[in-house]
Amino acid sequence: MAADKKDGLRMAPRIIVEVVMILVSVFFLIPFLWAISTSLRLPKDSLNLPPQFLPTSFQIANYGSLFTLFPFFPFILNSIVVAVAVTVFQALFSTMAGYAFARIDFKGKNLLFIAILSGIMIPGQSIIIPQFLVVKTFGLMDTHWAIILPYLIFPLGIFLVRQFMMTIPKSYDEAALIDGADRFRVFWSIILPMSVPSVAVVSVMGFIGSWNNFFGPLIYLNTWEKMTLPMGLKVLSGFNGTGSLSVILAGVVISFIPPILIYAFGQKYLLQGTTLTGLKS
Amino acid sequence: MGSFVAGNLRKHRHFRDNLTGYLFILPALLTFLVFIGGPIVASVFFLDFCKYNILTPPVYVGLRNFLKLFSDPMSSTVFLNTFKFVAILVPLHVVIGLLLALGVCRKIASPLKYYYRTAIYFPVVVTVSAVTIIWTYFFNFDFGVINYFLNLVGIQSVPWLKSGDWALVAVAIFSVWKGVGSSFIFFVIGLQNIPDSYMEAAKIDGANWFHLFFKIKLPLLTPTMFLVLTTILINCFQIFDEPFLITNGGPGTSTRTIALQIYEQAFRSYDMGYASSFAAVLFAIVLAITVIQFSFQKKWVNYDYE
Repeated sequence: MAADKKDGLRMAPRIIVEVVMILVSVFFLIPFLWAISTSLRLPKDSLNLPPQFLPTSFQIANYGSLFTLFPFFPFILNSIVVAVAVTVFQALFSTMAGYAFARIDFKGKNLLFIAILSGIMIPGQSIIIPQFLVVKTFGLMDTHWAIILPYLIFPLGIFLVRQFMMTIPKSYDEAALIDGADRFRVFWSIILPMSVPSVAVVSVMGFIGSWNNFFGPLIYLNTWEKMTLPMGLKVLSGFNGTGSLSVILAGVVISFIPPILIYAFGQKYLLQGTTLTGLKS
Repeated sequence: MGSFVAGNLRKHRHFRDNLTGYLFILPALLTFLVFIGGPIVASVFFLDFCKYNILTPPVYVGLRNFLKLFSDPMSSTVFLNTFKFVAILVPLHVVIGLLLALGVCRKIASPLKYYYRTAIYFPVVVTVSAVTIIWTYFFNFDFGVINYFLNLVGIQSVPWLKSGDWALVAVAIFSVWKGVGSSFIFFVIGLQNIPDSYMEAAKIDGANWFHLFFKIKLPLLTPTMFLVLTTILINCFQIFDEPFLITNGGPGTSTRTIALQIYEQAFRSYDMGYASSFAAVLFAIVLAITVIQFSFQKKWVNYDYE
C-alpha cells in the first residue's frame, strides 16, 4: 500500500494519469504508424477512409519504385556524406575548443569564450544573408561544401564539451605534461577518451542536425544530383498529384532510419549531455 | 638565481600556453568569425543600410530600408504573425513539456518509462520535411484523418489549411507534436536531478501532491524553466520550417513570419538590403528579450540547492 502512494497519488488518479499518458504516446506515434502502413499499400489505396493505422497489405514494390522513379539513392548518399563530414569535423572543432577553454590558460580566454557562446543566442535567420554571400564569394554555391562549412561551428557543442572537461581533475594534464607529453597528446590520448559522453552528445546532435537540415539545402543547392534527403523529399512531395503518395511515404519512412539508429545508440548520452546544459558555468 | 630561472620557465610556459590555446581554438574561432560573428556584424551594421541585389555592388542608402519596413503593411502582418506564434507556442511548449515530464517521471516500470520517453522525443529527431508530408494529409479538408475523426464524433470538418486562423492553429499543433519533446527532455532531467531525500522528507511531513509540486518540484525546476524559456523564445521568433512546409505562409499571408519574409525578400526578390533590415530587427528583438530574461532571472530562478 505504501508503494501506491510513493509519488503522492492515490490509486484512481494514478490510473487516470496512466490512461492519459498512453493516449498521449499514441498521439505522438500515430503519424509514424500511418506513414509506415500507408507506404506498404497500393498507391491507389493511399488515402482510403476510414484511415488504417496498421498495415493492410505489404507492397514492398513501393520502396523499389522510389529508387527507379526518383533519384532517391543519390539523395541518401549525399545526406550520408554531408552528415558524416559535419559530424566528424564539428565534433573535432568543438572538442578542441572545449579543451582549450576548459584546461589551458591563455590571454583573452574568457572574452573569446563569451563571444563564441553568444552564437547560441543569434537567430540563424539573422545571419543567413551574409552567410549566403560568404558561400557565394568562395564559389561554393550548389556544392556540398555549402551545407558543410557553415555548420562546423557549434557554440552549444563547445559549451557542452567545456562543461564536461571542467569536471576532470587538472592533475591529469599536469602529470602528463611533466612526463614530457605535449598538449595535443594530452588532449588526444588522455582528456578526449575521458570525455566520451560529451563527445557522443555533440556527435549525435551534429548528425541529427545535418541529416535534418532543410533550410541550408533550400538556399544553397539547386541541382537534383546534389540534393540531400530533406530537400529531395520536399521535391518528391510535389509529385503528389500523380497519386504516388504511398511511394513518397516509402521515402519518408526511409528518412526515419538513421535518426532511429542514432537515437537508439545515443539516447543514454543525450540525456547525460543535456544535463550538462543545466550546470552553472 | 633560482627564482629567476623559475620565473623564466613560468614565462616560457605562459607563452606556450597562450600559443597552444589559440591553436586549439583556431578552427572553431575561424568558422565562428566567418559564419556567425562576421555575418551578424555585416547584417546589423552594413547590409541593412544598403541597397543590394547581388548583381551590382551594394549602395549605401541610409535608413531607407527601415523606413520602408516600418511603412509597409506587410511588415506589421509578419511581425503580428510571429508574435502570435510566440504567444501560442511558448506557453504550449513549456506547459505541455512540463506536464509530460511529470507524467513520465513517476514510480513506474522502466520499460513503460522508456516507451513514453521515446514516443514523445522521437518527433524531435526526424526530418521536418518528411513529417510535414504526413501532417499535410492529416490536416486535409476532404480526406484528412483529423476531419474524419471529428466527423465521427459529430463535429463539422475544420478548414485547417484553408482559413487563416485555423492555419495558425494547424501549424501550432504540428509544432507542439514535432518539438515539445525537447522541452520535455529538459524537464525530465530537471526532475531526475531533484534529490529523492527532498521528496521523502516532505512526504514524511505529510505533503500532498499539490504541495510536492508547487513547494518543491517547481522551485527546484526554475533553472530548467529558464533554460527552456530562453531556447524556445529564440526558436519561436525565428520559426520558418513549419509555416514554410505546411502552409507556405498562407492562406494569403496569414502564417507568413519574419523568417519567411527574410527568405522571400532575400532569395525570391533578391532585395538583400531590405531583407537584412528584417534580419536586424529580428536580432534586436531576440537580443532585447534575452537581456530582459537574464536581468530578471535573479527574481525567480532558484540556484540555491546545488
